[in-house]
Amino acid sequence: MQIRRLGVAATGAVLALAVAACGGGSGSSTPSSSGGAAAGANATGEFNAALTGVVNPSDKKGGILKFANGGDWDSLDPGDTYYGYSWNFIRLYGRSLLMFKSAVGKEGNQLAPDLAEDLGTPSDDAKTWTYKLKKGIKFEDGTPVTSKDVKYAVERSFDKEVFPDGYTYFNDFLDWPKDYKGAYKSKDVNTDSAIETPDDYTIVFHLKQPLSNFDYFAQLPATIPVPKDKDTGAKYKEHIISTGPYKFEKNEIGKGFTLVRNDQWDAATDPNRKALPDGYEVSTNVNADDIDNRIIAGDLDVDVAGIGVQSAALGRVLPDPAMKANSDNPTSTRLWYTSINGNVAPLDNIDCRKAVQYATDKVALQTAWGGEFSGGQIATSLLPPAIPGHEDFNLYPPGADNKGDLDKAKEALTACGQPGGFETNISYRAERPKEKQAAEALQQSLGRVGIKLTLKPFPQADYFALYAGKPGYAKDNKIGLAMNGWQSDWPDGFGFLQQIVDSRVIRDTGGSSNISVRDPEVDKLIDQAMKETDTDARNAIWTQIDKKVMEDSFILPNVWTKTLLVRSKNATNIFVNDAYGMYDYLGMGVK
Amino acid sequence: MTAPMDVTGGDTQATPAVVEGAGGQAIQGRSLGQIAWMRLKRDKVALAGGLIVIFLILVAVFAPVIAGAFGQDPTQFNSDLIDSSTMAPKTGTGISADHLFGIEPVNGRDIFSRVVYGARISLLIAFLATLLSVVIGTLLGVTAGYFGGLVDSIISKAMDVFLAFPILVFAIALAGIVPDTAFGLTGDTLRVSLLVFIIGFFNWPYIGRIIRGQTLSLREREFVDAARSLGARGPYIIFRELLPNLVAPILIYSTLLIPTNVLFEAALSFLGVGVRPPTPTWGGMLSDAVRFYTIPHFMFFPGMAIFITVLAFNLFGDGLRDALDPKAR
Amino acid sequence: MVTYIIRRLIWAVVMLTIVSIITFGIFFLVPRLAGATSESLAARYVGRTASAEQVKIAADKLGFNDPLIVQYGRFAKGIVAGADYDYGPGVEHCPAPCFGYSFLTRLPVWPDLMDRLPVTLSLAIGAAVIWVIAGVATGVLSALRRGSLFDRAAMGVALAGVSLPIFFTGIVSLVVFSYGTPFRITAPGGSFTPFDENPAMWAYNLILPWITLAFLYAAGYARLTRAGMLETMNEDYIRTARAKGLSERRVVVKHGLRGALTPILTIFGLDLGLLLGGAVLTESTYSLPGMGKYAIDAITNQDLPKVMGVTLVAAFFVVFANLIVDLLYAVVDPRVRLG
Repeated sequence: MQIRRLGVAATGAVLALAVAACGGGSGSSTPSSSGGAAAGANATGEFNAALTGVVNPSDKKGGILKFANGGDWDSLDPGDTYYGYSWNFIRLYGRSLLMFKSAVGKEGNQLAPDLAEDLGTPSDDAKTWTYKLKKGIKFEDGTPVTSKDVKYAVERSFDKEVFPDGYTYFNDFLDWPKDYKGAYKSKDVNTDSAIETPDDYTIVFHLKQPLSNFDYFAQLPATIPVPKDKDTGAKYKEHIISTGPYKFEKNEIGKGFTLVRNDQWDAATDPNRKALPDGYEVSTNVNADDIDNRIIAGDLDVDVAGIGVQSAALGRVLPDPAMKANSDNPTSTRLWYTSINGNVAPLDNIDCRKAVQYATDKVALQTAWGGEFSGGQIATSLLPPAIPGHEDFNLYPPGADNKGDLDKAKEALTACGQPGGFETNISYRAERPKEKQAAEALQQSLGRVGIKLTLKPFPQADYFALYAGKPGYAKDNKIGLAMNGWQSDWPDGFGFLQQIVDSRVIRDTGGSSNISVRDPEVDKLIDQAMKETDTDARNAIWTQIDKKVMEDSFILPNVWTKTLLVRSKNATNIFVNDAYGMYDYLGMGVK
Repeated sequence: MTAPMDVTGGDTQATPAVVEGAGGQAIQGRSLGQIAWMRLKRDKVALAGGLIVIFLILVAVFAPVIAGAFGQDPTQFNSDLIDSSTMAPKTGTGISADHLFGIEPVNGRDIFSRVVYGARISLLIAFLATLLSVVIGTLLGVTAGYFGGLVDSIISKAMDVFLAFPILVFAIALAGIVPDTAFGLTGDTLRVSLLVFIIGFFNWPYIGRIIRGQTLSLREREFVDAARSLGARGPYIIFRELLPNLVAPILIYSTLLIPTNVLFEAALSFLGVGVRPPTPTWGGMLSDAVRFYTIPHFMFFPGMAIFITVLAFNLFGDGLRDALDPKAR
Repeated sequence: MVTYIIRRLIWAVVMLTIVSIITFGIFFLVPRLAGATSESLAARYVGRTASAEQVKIAADKLGFNDPLIVQYGRFAKGIVAGADYDYGPGVEHCPAPCFGYSFLTRLPVWPDLMDRLPVTLSLAIGAAVIWVIAGVATGVLSALRRGSLFDRAAMGVALAGVSLPIFFTGIVSLVVFSYGTPFRITAPGGSFTPFDENPAMWAYNLILPWITLAFLYAAGYARLTRAGMLETMNEDYIRTARAKGLSERRVVVKHGLRGALTPILTIFGLDLGLLLGGAVLTESTYSLPGMGKYAIDAITNQDLPKVMGVTLVAAFFVVFANLIVDLLYAVVDPRVRLG
């Protein structure tokens, strides 16, 4: 998922550092453990134990879990949140149609029914998807949840003026009436062409085109029901009506909030949630280094952003065997990469783009992103290893030591007609020290063959909307390279690739995450993949797309992210859920 | 604002004495400079400060030579000296004969040469910004003080307004908003000019007030009266009679404004709105170093560079004031 | 006296108006000089997926196409009478004093600022108490024992104090006393407990920023007090007081200190006024959620309504502090009123 607008805490200067938010997708190639949370092996005291088993398993109820966030939520509103950690956390106070299982490792990638009785039933060539809702589910005020509340929730999320942070999957794929503007501005428009509710416990989605993996849409937080009479639009995030086992007691946006038990939640309707603690205390905009230190000291349980420790704590944890044994190093489905903009001369010439690939010192890049534990694994293509369709290939081997093949780079430059190199700019998000480091590493390594880069920091809130992601701006200001990152919204090729390689998502008004891949052939392949109902055949197409984009050299892959997470000293049931690439917040209890 | 407001700005309280002292000495036939130099020579601490200032200027001017002597370039990565799991230098600090101050984590850049090059940006901006403040402040201060009346009250009120601005907030906002190419400039040239303008422009009222106060008292003195009665006009009196007598306070407060501006530039760089990386600045290095507080040498050297520079200018400025103004001792 | 007060009050209001006009003008003009258009400004408020047409409508709705003077008029009116902002699905009323409405967070600026004010107040006042006591005491002692070891040591430390950037001392203090290496005696940055909630926690969370900030100022105050004392102790009236046979202590406290403290009072008023507008560097070093941090965050996100609001409130504190200082002077020294 896109990593954007990280809230207020992130100035490059302050101790609280830019915290790249978002987690999600599937994790490393660890063997899946059987039978959900409690069944995992108790493997306390080993590095990476929580990747494959449950650390400190327990069914003890009670206690308060303390969470902290170095930045702040994009929004707590289920219709407006696009951070992976938020999707992990939101399961505590909201129930969507489907959900990712609260389970160890790969099993967490499996979808389970939540509001719905079962996974969706496709019909009409997978253009229509039907879900039956469970009965007996209530809002925190005791009102029963009906399919109309789910429909309303999706309709309100349509309005991106009110909810600018959210995704646009439902907007783009459902068969909305022409000129539909969402629940607020098109109040009396009949939307049955997109969503039907034949009765209070049935909801039917109608798509514009066949989509074999719509069940992933049904787990999106936008399907968490919202009662129409309690909806306050953009202000709903201040008073969210819970459907999960916990509800908001106090919510001070910008500072934090507390969750307490929701007495209207009925465990009988919910096999997925254990709801062990009595509540949660969450502070936001906390000094990121301090979060690390307090978790190490045992004063705090979870860094909710799930992006791993800061550089300083890294230097404390790794060299100390005891501390290292109490930490985990999951791989997430995030790729950090550099977009190579073919609209900016001389990068419109493929050989110049190739020169960039060959001249890059991938080791320096890896260190810039945080090294092998908190940076990641050197990436040679787009699809992360944990996503089906990933294939190991490397079209531009940067030398035997990964530090760049300068001869090849110079050859490519000559072929491009720029034997002495050229000048261009590289943009990055000003609040993110790691992007700055990576940009500096590129500046240094490309400088070896005469490619001179000028660093251009931009505020991350507007990075895609106004600067690097706005085609006109990028072209006029010669932003040839742009630091970028993407995390899979869910573990399949569509969830990872569609938003970053389909040229049709690029808009002149800016805002798209794809800022460099413009290849009609790739677009054609994407259409093919979305129609393909056979999983293996579909994955093969995603592999093909990956290769095609790399052949075009529109993207310079940097690393597939790894994070170093430190386990809480007081929590039970600690395990990494691959769907989020971080600890599962639903299973955790207090010792 | 009224009389008491003239006494703002930290160390500026004893101003009127300066000129009186200087004028009184002049009667004895020795120049102000000679007397000041005699006094300054006896002030060992101030001399030390002055020597450090000269040393720092030399370091800034000859930065490439100094860094080159160790075979170092401030932007050169030394990735092979970095532990790729913790991003720290392999030997802890990386201090060696090649890297006197060690190396930075992550990319292994040489801290010594970065600190040496950092002096360039720091001093350049501080000097130019001071110059700008002094020029504007003196011109407006003298004008206000000499002409008085409406002119004085307009300029004085303008100073009040300027002093009411939360200048740091304003400076950050402006420095952050200006794009990378503007006013026909680009790169370091643009950033340096911008910072000089912002810092210099917002600081002029401090100098302006002092100069205005001095001018007010000079205006009433006999030699000005004499010049006037001989038919001298405004500009002549300002440039030939007033300004030479204002040299002492201008010199003192310039010297004391420089360290403030060094801190100002460092703060802006620290907050990420200074000169763009990879050009090394002390404030920028400190802000990088914050994330690596477990590697203390990284923050130590740029921090000490700022400290020593500011301290040296303060020591020298204090000494200069004492030398030019015996009453303050 | 009354006319003087009225005159000063009017000038204070005029000054704030001028400050607001200049601020508004600069933040209106500079982004445009930097190449922004009404549309690109509006684009930030309508989400990533807006069409060009939506952006245009938003730009109109937000008034970005109006001339500067109209926009300023609206802003000024909001401060006095409140304003309504159309934020999409509904109209948000921003009650007076409306210091702008952030379209990014969809919240009026004023309540935000009032939310942050206690933090800055706590920080500034706590630090001020420490620096005044420490600074003046050190200055007096130094002046009385001029040339002694104490004097030289104290003045050396004071000079070092004014020469250290606060973001450096702040980080060092955090690393040494708060991050657990080697001593952890106080809370780290980022936490603030309101005084009325738990006074002990309030002080515990603030002690480090207080001391760091106070050190910087105390150094300057010690130097000033010492210089002031040395000057006044040479005055004729001190000699007279001594000649009258008053005890040395009485001479120092009653006569000497009073004379030396007058300029300190001025500077204290101005320093406090500036700090109340946001101790930008201290707050961002310690991640304290005060007005200075608010300003920095707003600048980082280029949330101009917030930057405007915080700048004006900060200017208000400076003007207000100036006013108080002037009035105090008028009370102490009748000549001022006439001047």
